[in-house]
Amino acid sequence: MSEVATVAVGWGVTAVAVASYALWVLLRGRTIGQELDIGGSSSMLSDKDSTTDQ
Amino acid sequence: MTSAKGRSVKMTATPFTRALGFLALAAVAVMALLGLVVSPPDVVQGEAVRMLYLHVPAIWIAYGSFAVTSVSSLLFLRRGKRREDKGRHYDRLGGAAAEVGVLFTGVTLITGMLWGKVTWGTYWQWDARLTTTVLLFVTYLGYLALRRLPADPVVRGRRAAIMALISFINVPIVHYSVDWWRTLHQKASLSVGRRPEITGEMYWTLLYSAVAVTFVAVWLVTHRYRVIRLEEIRDEEMLTALISQRVSQDLPPVSDGDFDE
Repeated sequence: MSEVATVAVGWGVTAVAVASYALWVLLRGRTIGQELDIGGSSSMLSDKDSTTDQ
Repeated sequence: MTSAKGRSVKMTATPFTRALGFLALAAVAVMALLGLVVSPPDVVQGEAVRMLYLHVPAIWIAYGSFAVTSVSSLLFLRRGKRREDKGRHYDRLGGAAAEVGVLFTGVTLITGMLWGKVTWGTYWQWDARLTTTVLLFVTYLGYLALRRLPADPVVRGRRAAIMALISFINVPIVHYSVDWWRTLHQKASLSVGRRPEITGEMYWTLLYSAVAVTFVAVWLVTHRYRVIRLEEIRDEEMLTALISQRVSQDLPPVSDGDFDE
C-alpha cells in the first residue's frame, strides 16, 4: 500500500469509527427517549429529576 | 409506571450542544483541509506524517478522558455518600468519558499501526509504547464491561470507580514508556519543557487538530452522559413497574364476604 493510500485508510477508518459511535449515541438516546415517552429526540434530565416528580 | 413526562424533562439537543456539534464538525473539516492539503509532506516520513494529525491528538484525548474518569471516580468514592443522588452524576461522567477514551485509544492504535507499516515496515512490534497502549485499551474495555454487570447501581459504581483508579496508573507509564525504555516508537512530538520535534505548518496543524478533536470529544461525552442518564431512568421505571406488578399479584384475593360488615 502506498503512503497516500495508507493515509487515506487511516483518515477514513477514523472518520467511520467516530461517526458510527456518534450516531449510535444519538440513536440510542432517541430510542430510549421514545420508550420513556418524552419526545422523538433523545432527552436529558437534570440530576434531581430521578427523585423529584413535579 | 410513572411516565417521565411527569418530570421536568429537557431535550438532550440543547442549543449549547447543537452549537458545539456544528463547531466540532466545522473544526474537523478545517482540520482535514490543513492535515491533508495545506500541511507539507515531511522530509523523512513523507506523506505518512499526515497520520500523526490524528494519531497524536487521539492519544491526548484518550489521556484526558481517562483523567476525567479518574477524577470523577475519586469524587464518586469520596463525596458520593453525602449527596442526595449518591454521587451518581460522577459515575455517569466517568463512564461517558471512559467510553470516549476507549474510542480514541482504538483510533490511536489503528492509525499508529498504519503509520508503522509505512515508516517501520511492520504493523506491530511488541515494544514498550505499543504494548502499554494496548494494555490501556484492554483495561478500560474491562472497566466498561464491569459497568454493564448487573448489580445495585451504587455498588456497581464503586467497583467501577476503583477499577478506573487502578487502570489510570497505566497512563503515565504509556506516556513515559518512550523515555524509560528503548523503544522503536519515537519520542513525544510535543512535550512540556522540551523543544518540539516538529515545527512550522506541521506544528500548528498538530496543535489545531488537538483543539478540533477536543470539540468532538466534549460533544460525545456530553451526549453519552445524557444517554446514560436516560438508561438509568428507564431501568428505574422498569423496576418500579415490576415491583408494583409483583406486589399486586401477592395480595390475597378480595372476596364478597370481606364487605359484609
